[in-house]
Amino acid sequence: MDEFAKPKRPHGPGAYVLTLGASVILGGLAGIGSAFLGDQPGPVGLALTAAMISAAMAGGTAGCIWWWRGIDEAAREAHKWAWWWGGTGGIALGGVLLMTLMIRAEQQPLPASFGSAPAEIFLSGMLSIVLFQTAGYALAWACWWLKHR
Amino acid sequence: MNNRLKVLRAERNWSQADLAEQLGVSRQTVNALETGRYDPSLPLAFRIARVFAQPIESIFTED
Repeated sequence: MDEFAKPKRPHGPGAYVLTLGASVILGGLAGIGSAFLGDQPGPVGLALTAAMISAAMAGGTAGCIWWWRGIDEAAREAHKWAWWWGGTGGIALGGVLLMTLMIRAEQQPLPASFGSAPAEIFLSGMLSIVLFQTAGYALAWACWWLKHR
Repeated sequence: MNNRLKVLRAERNWSQADLAEQLGVSRQTVNALETGRYDPSLPLAFRIARVFAQPIESIFTED
């Protein structure tokens, strides 16, 4: 390795938007593919649906690796800090709210948008936690950069 | 950790963007370094020393 080689310019916001956009497109393609190819009864349909989602997830992960390798160390530090403190803080807050709602369901029924079947409630709970985690992450990320300006 | 990045950069009439390009980091990172709010990794500290042609200990000092 040339020790004195000019370093590469780190990825900017454009690369982030590109990665995010490509992930959304891959997810959309997987959804369309699942609707057409996975619309078959039995294990074949199940396997095709799983294959579509796996391919989209693998593509999205590859894009994330490319993006992560291109950002500089302070940007990485901000994301790591935000995922730990913001993400876990969001999970903790969401967990308190969800568990309180579940334990005290007689006094405070779950919102109607959560659904009524156990599978619907389970899925809504999972998505709520992801939402809290992402919100906490975004807030912590912004705080890190504000603090380090 | 204290550093003399801002002074060294000013002596050379470089903007933060100029220095960022030479170091391969973002301008925001250079700003965070200069304000002392972010301590660089060892590889980045070596790159900074090489860009300014000075030993690390003459650029960075302990609080």
